[in-house]
Amino acid sequence: MTAKTSATATATATSPPTNLLIRGLTKSFGGVKALDDVDLTVPAGQVHALLGHNGAGKSTLIKCLGGAFPPDAGTIEVDGVEFARLSPRQSIAAGVAIIFQTLSVVDSLTVAENIFLGQEWTRYGTVDRRAQETLAAGLLERVAASCSPRDRVGELPMRQRQLVEIAKALSRSASVLVLDEPTAALSGTESDALAERVEDLRTQGLAIVYVTHLLSEVERLADAVTVLRDGRVDFHSPVSGHSRKQLVDTIVGQGRAATPRPNRLLQPKPAAEGRATALPDGTHPEPDPRSAPLLAVDGLTGPGFGPVGLDVAGGEIVGLYGLIGSGRTRILETLFGRRRRSGGTVRVGDRPVAPARPAEALAAGIALVPADRRGQGLFATLSAQDNVLLPAVRPLARGGLRSLRAERRTFDALASAVGLRPARPKLPAAAFSGGNQQKLVLGRWINEARGTDVLLLDEPTQGVDVGARQEIYQVVEGLAAERGTAVLFASSDPEEIVALAHRCLIVAHGRVVAELSGTELTEEALLSAVHDTHTPADSDPVGSGTAEGAP
Amino acid sequence: MTTTTVDSPLRTNPRALASGSLTAVRRHPLVVVLVAMVLVFQLSTGSFVDTANLRGIATDAATIAIVAVPLALLVISGYLDLSVGSTLALGGLVGGWLAGQQGQSPVVAVLGALAAGAAVGAVNGVLCCYLGLSAFIVTLGMLTAVRGLAQQLFPLPLSDFGTGFAWLGGARIAGIAAPVVIAALVLAAGALFLALTPAGRHVFAIGVNREAAYLSGINIRRTPFALFVLTGAAAALAGAIRASVLDSAVAGTSGAGFELTVLTAVLLGGVALTGGTGSIFGVLLGVLFLGCLQNGLTLLSVPTFWQLMAQGVALVAGAALAYFGPKATR
Repeated sequence: MTAKTSATATATATSPPTNLLIRGLTKSFGGVKALDDVDLTVPAGQVHALLGHNGAGKSTLIKCLGGAFPPDAGTIEVDGVEFARLSPRQSIAAGVAIIFQTLSVVDSLTVAENIFLGQEWTRYGTVDRRAQETLAAGLLERVAASCSPRDRVGELPMRQRQLVEIAKALSRSASVLVLDEPTAALSGTESDALAERVEDLRTQGLAIVYVTHLLSEVERLADAVTVLRDGRVDFHSPVSGHSRKQLVDTIVGQGRAATPRPNRLLQPKPAAEGRATALPDGTHPEPDPRSAPLLAVDGLTGPGFGPVGLDVAGGEIVGLYGLIGSGRTRILETLFGRRRRSGGTVRVGDRPVAPARPAEALAAGIALVPADRRGQGLFATLSAQDNVLLPAVRPLARGGLRSLRAERRTFDALASAVGLRPARPKLPAAAFSGGNQQKLVLGRWINEARGTDVLLLDEPTQGVDVGARQEIYQVVEGLAAERGTAVLFASSDPEEIVALAHRCLIVAHGRVVAELSGTELTEEALLSAVHDTHTPADSDPVGSGTAEGAP
Repeated sequence: MTTTTVDSPLRTNPRALASGSLTAVRRHPLVVVLVAMVLVFQLSTGSFVDTANLRGIATDAATIAIVAVPLALLVISGYLDLSVGSTLALGGLVGGWLAGQQGQSPVVAVLGALAAGAAVGAVNGVLCCYLGLSAFIVTLGMLTAVRGLAQQLFPLPLSDFGTGFAWLGGARIAGIAAPVVIAALVLAAGALFLALTPAGRHVFAIGVNREAAYLSGINIRRTPFALFVLTGAAAALAGAIRASVLDSAVAGTSGAGFELTVLTAVLLGGVALTGGTGSIFGVLLGVLFLGCLQNGLTLLSVPTFWQLMAQGVALVAGAALAYFGPKATR
């Protein structure tokens, strides 16, 4: 049985160059093109880095490849076999293995059982444990995993679990390996070890698609790079040998040249003159963050982050820029009372605020638009009106009964304020596009019946199409400028930070590590800042990240 | 898939009323089934649509409706109560014991029954809403535990509750039996609550997306807790009514299987077990459907086991229709 494993290894090494060839891949969701004529070629023995902001189409591409979505047009060719669409089963059979950020290992099974899940070795109708364990040992050796085939996967650290999944991919003799931000959940040393494994697998002849936000990884591993923006290939180049500086310049510069970015706001920031002219009466000058902050946070600490100190003035829009796992979401959720804080003070105006529940935060004037729209924001089967007015139904009620007329009036006003399309109160939320769903959730907190002094936004335009994105920016800017709302938003998209924020705080490992404002606030600066701050940490950000339970 | 759960209940002009009843038919295909069933029973028995028989159906259906309304609200908010059959027994015994053995006034007897039921509901509510235990497990356990409690407290069958208590089940208000009047009030209150109160919106919101409701500042524990208490109280009231009608209550058998009948009515009425959808009108249809089915089959002298089979088949067929139907009619 050991012989069989090594035979597989030899076969992989000597087999003709495997290829992933994607041509003209297009996929729309409700009229919004998530992928638009995307080409991607990955020869055997190459690592191809796939970059792009949230909503750029990376996950859609991966899911088409994995057979989760049928593409509308285009072809996927794996090892010379062409497919117009793949089922998940066909994808695996064709030799595609995808390692998602949320791993698909079964915690209660052993390493060997996980590796052979769905393709068990049997003897007289029962699972041949011994054969599986011997084979698993060989595969684990290939990925240099230190765990034993008999270990329970649930007891292993994240890195080992990831290697188990890669071993599983090898057991199915995958020729195309897709890694979706594999280091997001790993510490610095673990990331280095993973990079070595990726290099090994490359020499073993796999075609590897490597999704990442980190330029250091692109620099170290990638033989070629493709940047997606709004579903299109924005930039494509072989990159090996480029320095990071060149890479940043190329990605940002090329991106600008390739797309004349219609989604940028009319007022370019941080140019103050553009801003002043765009305001109706010019009475709202750029807010000075040092003059009496509306939201004052000092020494805020909680599980996995802190201490964090920050101020947001009334009318100011401050961005929190950081990668997944940097703690930006935790900071927002703690301010909103969704998570316990272990220390620090928060003030809204003069009042100290220590919300134990979101309801208390809302009563104190703090509202949050969460990143996970479907899971935490939207009531998919309820009507648009119910979605927008839910927290306002009680304040609008008279004598304990709903005031249907006032509700309708409030809905109409809000729908036009956020540019909801179609502005039909009874249409269920699920029937709206992603952008309009986000408008519904945003609209919930901008109606007059609830006073929102501090608006927290987490990834405000994730999964939102270009047009709606700009409308959402305009709504947020209008809130800040006209109502003096203090806006604090988290984003992993440098373009969004530059487009929306007056000032940006860079978050890494649960702390604010840098601040950019004025002319320093550029996409280049953000990209390099995040690279510089992604230093190895000993703590495991995912271990604490599992405490995301419901209230 | 019910897309709009509540429409404006205030329709005045006849055309709107007509189109309203059309949408009601589209949304509740059970209306058609119900009408067809009434026709079939009338043609085959000749005495189905008879004032006396209809009265009988209404009285039988009344206790189901009284419990089905709060239970439906509970299910819409994403919970479940399987303990109502035993709570019904306890309510009947407590009410009958107070009225008969203790010689209390019927008002005190009914209040005592309500209190007993509310207490059971409060235990369910604390365990499910505040401690976060599974409603299925908690109320399944309570179904057994409350039955045991009832047998412990009242080992012997009770009867002779007196004329005052008999009023609850036997009196006529403007020619309509008291239980039917109570059921109508409960149905109206439920519909009003769901359509016209802020808490009614919250029930839907909690059922559709608990997390989003919590993040919207809604108290996601208090409303479902109150519904558990109401469901318990309603089950006990139904028990008191049944005890009054029969002038007897037996700890071991009263209300046995009642929880499944009520749940069947609620689900037939289009309330999704996953929460978030349903209407009181649908629940009324579900209750009437079960009542007519039982009565019609009895009139046709169909044996009980066939009746039970019909009930079960109706539920599964209803679920299948709801699953496959919308795609066909869309």
